[in-house]
Amino acid sequence: MTIKVLAFAGSPRRHGNSETLLDWVLASMAEDPDVSIEKVPLTEANINICRGCNACEQLNKCIQRDGMDIYHDKIIEADCILLSSPIYCMGIAALPKALIDRAQVFRSRKYVLKLPVVPPERKGKRLGAFIATAGQDWSYVFDAAKPSVKCFFHLIDIRDADISYLMINKVDEKGAIDRHPTAKAEAERLGKTMIAELKTRLAA
Amino acid sequence: MVVTVLGISGSPHRHGNTETLLDSFLDGARSAGASLEKVVLKDLNYTPCRGCNACHKTGQCVVKDDAIILFGKVLAVDCIAVSSPIYTMGITAELKGLIDRGQYLWARKFILKTLYFSDEHIQRHKGLFISTAGQNWDHVFDGAFPAITAIFNGTGFEYYDNIIANNMDEYKGIKNHPTAMNEAFLKGQKVVGVIAKLKGG
Repeated sequence: MTIKVLAFAGSPRRHGNSETLLDWVLASMAEDPDVSIEKVPLTEANINICRGCNACEQLNKCIQRDGMDIYHDKIIEADCILLSSPIYCMGIAALPKALIDRAQVFRSRKYVLKLPVVPPERKGKRLGAFIATAGQDWSYVFDAAKPSVKCFFHLIDIRDADISYLMINKVDEKGAIDRHPTAKAEAERLGKTMIAELKTRLAA
Repeated sequence: MVVTVLGISGSPHRHGNTETLLDSFLDGARSAGASLEKVVLKDLNYTPCRGCNACHKTGQCVVKDDAIILFGKVLAVDCIAVSSPIYTMGITAELKGLIDRGQYLWARKFILKTLYFSDEHIQRHKGLFISTAGQNWDHVFDGAFPAITAIFNGTGFEYYDNIIANNMDEYKGIKNHPTAMNEAFLKGQKVVGVIAKLKGG
């Protein structure tokens, strides 16, 4: 059994805090030989913003030809989808918001065309996680990001209850996450827990 | 003294529900004697914030593009109306891309302490958020407000009001909404009058 993990690193800054946190999750997942991981930095993914044309409501596909042609299929194929983002101006960064908005094609498929996103036998067997960091130390700094993240996972057939959140605040400068007392352990625990859960579900 | 109003359209979809609502607001402002400018983000050329934090040292963005020109305009007017439809429970990537680029102003305010807005300045500068959403949920705008608060705070505007209308999917467009277009027009008129009074004109 191969467990396919697809991870989008959403920060415009490569190898910053949110990506490091994501890397820790992925490293703990990769210790399992059954796991295959693809990490996609959104800075290199060539994903345009949604044009709001609603053509997908009729065509069941996007009229834009870009990186999403590849990631659309990979999103469907993956058992586990991770999305990381820093918090900018109290929300997710513009780059991951562009990816999330492009999930409109899945919304059209589900709710307008009434077609499945994943085959029925794979429903409830996909897990998602949102991995975020913020400079501010306010406890509510992640609140505005979560509705868009939930919406994204919902549209790609990952249930609310199957989304994990790893959100670390008060880390701003590059490398600050390395000095956080619990972040690395939390990330490793998340990776292990998700893979164990996926193994149970996929075997069922 | 003429009241200046800048409308920012954050929808990638031209002349859709949100832009139409913005236009109604601007029509109201015009009828009250304001001087207007409308900027459509789709027509501008700017990239998202790179998160390089260079502005924390210099107070300047290393990327010179239309976003910086637009922030210059924002800082020069009395009233801004920032508009975006709700996409996946938040503002569009386009508008978020612009807002995030205001980081250099945040750096000037909080790190370099070279930018300061007095309470009186903030009171005289009014910001409105204009939005529509397909969903009928009451909480559909909640994810948008904090980023709008961020741009108003960063540029010295009081978060004056919202003009928001949900349930567009059912109404089949803003023009069928019973109250929103009129509300936008009246709020455009009203805010210009309020600012004119504050400016002593």
